[in-house]
Amino acid sequence: MVIRRLLRYLKPHYKALSIASMVLVFATFADVIGPILVKIFLDRHLVPRSFDQQALWLLGGGYLGLHFLSVGLHYYQLVSFNRIALKVIQALRVDVFKHVQRLGLVVFDKTPTGALVSRITNDTEAIKELFVGVLAALVQNFVFLIGVFIAMFSLDVRLATFCLALLPAILGLMVVYRGVSTKVYRIMRKELSRLNSKLNESIQGMNIVQAMRQEKRFKEEFAGINNAYYQSNMTNIRLESLFVRPAVDVIYTFALVLVLNFFGIQSLQGPIQIGVLYAFINYLDRFFEPVNMMMQRLSQFQQSLVAAERVFELLDDRRLTRAVNDVGAASILDGQIEFKNVSFSYDGGQDVLKNVSFTAYSGQTVALVGHTGSGKSTVANLLMRFYSVTRGEILIDSVPLTEFSEDELRTKVGLVAQDPFLFVGNIAKNISLSRPTVSEKQVGEAASFVQADEFILKLPQGFEEPIGERGATLSSGQRQLICFARTIAGNPKILVLDEATASVDTETEEAIKTALEKMRQGRTTIAIAHRLSTIQDADLILVLHSGIIVERGRHAELLRTEGLYHKMFMMQQGTL
Amino acid sequence: MRLFRELMWFFRLEKKSYSMGIFVLLLVALINLFPPYAVGVIVDGVGKRNMTEGILFKWSLLLLSATLLVYGLRYAWRLTIFGASSRLGRLLRKQLFEHFTRLSPQFYQQHRTGDLMAHATNDIQAIEMTAGVGVLTLVDSLTTGSLVVFSMAYFISWKLTLITLLPMPLMAWSTSYYGTLLHKRFHKAQAAFSDLNNKVLENISGVRVVRAFGEEEAEKKAFRTLSADVVEKNFAVAKVDALFEPTIQLIIGISFFLAISFGAKEVVNGSLSFGQLTQFTIYLGAFIWPMLAFGWLFNILERGRASYDRVNTLLTIKHEIVERDGVTDRVPSGEVAYQGASFTYPGAHKLVLKEIDVAVKPGQTLGIVGKTGSGKTTFFRMLMREFDLSKGDLRIGGNSIYNVTLGALRSSIGYVPQDNFLFSTLIAQNIAFGKPEATLEEIKAVAEIAAIHQDILRFEEQYGTMVGDRGVTLSGGQKQRISIARALLLKPEILILDDSLSAVDAKTEKTILQGLKETRTQKTTLISSHRLSAVEHADLIIVLHNGIIIERGSHAELMIIEGWYASTYRSQQLESLLEGGGA
Repeated sequence: MVIRRLLRYLKPHYKALSIASMVLVFATFADVIGPILVKIFLDRHLVPRSFDQQALWLLGGGYLGLHFLSVGLHYYQLVSFNRIALKVIQALRVDVFKHVQRLGLVVFDKTPTGALVSRITNDTEAIKELFVGVLAALVQNFVFLIGVFIAMFSLDVRLATFCLALLPAILGLMVVYRGVSTKVYRIMRKELSRLNSKLNESIQGMNIVQAMRQEKRFKEEFAGINNAYYQSNMTNIRLESLFVRPAVDVIYTFALVLVLNFFGIQSLQGPIQIGVLYAFINYLDRFFEPVNMMMQRLSQFQQSLVAAERVFELLDDRRLTRAVNDVGAASILDGQIEFKNVSFSYDGGQDVLKNVSFTAYSGQTVALVGHTGSGKSTVANLLMRFYSVTRGEILIDSVPLTEFSEDELRTKVGLVAQDPFLFVGNIAKNISLSRPTVSEKQVGEAASFVQADEFILKLPQGFEEPIGERGATLSSGQRQLICFARTIAGNPKILVLDEATASVDTETEEAIKTALEKMRQGRTTIAIAHRLSTIQDADLILVLHSGIIVERGRHAELLRTEGLYHKMFMMQQGTL
Repeated sequence: MRLFRELMWFFRLEKKSYSMGIFVLLLVALINLFPPYAVGVIVDGVGKRNMTEGILFKWSLLLLSATLLVYGLRYAWRLTIFGASSRLGRLLRKQLFEHFTRLSPQFYQQHRTGDLMAHATNDIQAIEMTAGVGVLTLVDSLTTGSLVVFSMAYFISWKLTLITLLPMPLMAWSTSYYGTLLHKRFHKAQAAFSDLNNKVLENISGVRVVRAFGEEEAEKKAFRTLSADVVEKNFAVAKVDALFEPTIQLIIGISFFLAISFGAKEVVNGSLSFGQLTQFTIYLGAFIWPMLAFGWLFNILERGRASYDRVNTLLTIKHEIVERDGVTDRVPSGEVAYQGASFTYPGAHKLVLKEIDVAVKPGQTLGIVGKTGSGKTTFFRMLMREFDLSKGDLRIGGNSIYNVTLGALRSSIGYVPQDNFLFSTLIAQNIAFGKPEATLEEIKAVAEIAAIHQDILRFEEQYGTMVGDRGVTLSGGQKQRISIARALLLKPEILILDDSLSAVDAKTEKTILQGLKETRTQKTTLISSHRLSAVEHADLIIVLHNGIIIERGSHAELMIIEGWYASTYRSQQLESLLEGGGA
């Protein structure tokens, strides 16, 4: 099943594959003809001692010519198979990556980042071996086998038939080896993973181990696992010694003895062609090289299959983001947002938002406050359509959120996330992203609008300043300002600020405050705030507690009611 | 080859296995010279038509018995040599692990777990490879190679041997040239792959931003470019890699041609028989492997040496904490006193603790509070001797902690760290971590004090529940309480709670503190916390700021001072009110 699915990736390379296989066939035939030429030389010239100069030149030239040709073709064939394998893996990789881009955020919440990265890169890399090592070897050996047998049959039908009997013996050996080795291999992997997790855990918890003086016990436990791994290793060595190279050599010798006896017995009855004997011996020799290779590749083949299974499992993950709406014709003009009895649950069980209703009129700022876990970030996640509403409805300009095309929503709704995330690249690229609508001029304008240009222009390369992994060279406030510029450069109608002031430092605090005020002008804003001081002028403040709006109103109103908001405010003022 | 010298200690250790293995290996190489000879005899018999059934039967039987003998011998040397190399892996892993158990927390701060794991697995595997396949390849290629050449020259014709081996240096030269070329290109391919990996990592960790700005298409494009680059760089590798086989094929082919054409001449001359010529070509075939293996050997050695160097560097790291001479191993007890204790982290200039003077009597509780980075955890680390004081002294019951063994000191202390690490085993075993022989009753008793007993009963398997990946996922608060129970089970003279109540709610905190008070009479308890309610009951509270005690006294005294403690206490009271929904 997995194999068939993998082979499907070969389809676009059908032509290249056929050419490579054809070349392989030619190369193999050139290989196969070599011993026949030697046979002709031995039987027609050496034995009867007839050395016709011209014929000899022809034979010698022919042999060398064929040999060079075969070498050249082999090189071409090897390179072709490699190219195909690399292309196949690339296609598979792109497919997985594309699929991951469509997966719902639920998957990212639940799968460790490392595991996802590993599926896309390492596992696909492991599959490469299947195509490079196994596929080419398979085709090559198959072709070679046919070539050898054609040659053998043309030399001596009876003997060739005997040799055909070798195939079941080799196949049998392979089947038995694969069966046993799969089991042994699995045990070995298990022991190795036990060893790894023990090691990992011990290293991470070493301070506890030392503080509680359990070093001796841990040493003993590790020694036990270490020994179990060693034992499984030994089993594997034993198995390989029994089945792989030494065993194939035994079969080879049996075949050789068979051929020798065949000729030996014939020679008792009458003269035989000594060249044929030579050719047969030579073919046998060549026949067993690829067999040895195949045996050694079997375990690799196994590993590739396991990796492929994991990759396909991810590709089959159907937890997609809601069907992307590319045809939605609705457009956002005013930016009025309405939550109508919205409830939401991440896991289908507990609701993290319960019956939330509010309206943000065009140009207004609605602030959400509450402690961690109150559900305020979920509101932003739902508006961004990262998750689908469980019950209720969200409307923008009185049109259901689901009716908007992905493009419309992403351009008109701008998000400033809590964690100022920067891409590797430079500052200008981080502000413009891939949006064709954002020109170089707009990048500059956006930066100066949020007052980010001040520090940017002080950098050695200004807007071209490279940004390393996670923008480690910049302060968190500077990173946040760049993220502001990025959002504002798209000129969104609606602004979602998810704790945008969480990442400030003393140096950029002022700049961030002014930038936020300016950004909100003329835009409908949903602000999730940690610091109440930043949202005092909001048109509506919603206080969330356990997914429920417990208080709502303007700053002054809420203070007057002396409820939760009042307490929070006083606390942050430090006056109570 | 230097690596073989460096591994001499091990070869000496496994003297028997290696000498046995190598002896058998040599035997195999010798016996393997026989089959071509036998074939030569039979071919000659067939060619000259002086073959009898008896001769044929005799040589066939010899051929088969030689093969079966070789099969057995091969099995034997594989088992001895590869077995020995596996034992080297086991030994090195054991040494490394035991070394790990002796290294201080400082070491673990400086090294990433992933790197340490890689040393213990991948690097050791590479060394194992050298001691196994490396030794085999060296011995086999040298002996087989020279024996084959010797047989060709001695038994058949040295002239013909010389002629046929003429192209061989070309093979050695070209494979080594390809090797360097491959090395360079391989590095580039690795770099491209690592770029791709980083891109994917960035994409996945920034998935929200990618989605919010509709960057999926651009990301896909970037990914495609990078993965195309990976293909290109790998293809460059493949182009060189694919050269090896055809080159060897080419040269072997030429050698064969030379062997046949010059050999034929000798057959005509009568100085060579037909069978000998056949025999010669079979020998030639046997020469391919040693040539190939030799190139491969350098590869293995290079990798093995780099790995061995890395593992050795790790093994030679000294542990920073050493015991003085003439220390006692009596478990210390009594008053804990910091006397002018100052500390600077190695390599740093800033004092993390400055002239700390504080004492706690048995039965008392000391509270340590202050902002993040004020020195609270460092304060404890001094007591547990994770580091040694730069100045001053630390005494328990009047004796300096530097006068007792590390083991004795640590057995007087029960430590609950900030990051409560649990092991992936049963809950009961986690609690009994420091005292594996504890009874279930003892375990339950401490679980009750730590206010985790009820939680545990709610799990399906109760105390037999697995913790971690393969078991239940515990909340932060549950983990903290299990770590507290774990420390309590040791009934330590000194109990340290390093901000270990941060994830439990106010009510549970109260229960735990009450339980500690009741059970820990005559024992010392040290508690640090962000939340001041956890130290409110303490007999003495110190406020640390930049490594200095800025306030000290009981809760009531500190509230009167109206300093950092008092203002923080008030604002925290409020906060807890809010978390409760303002009720």
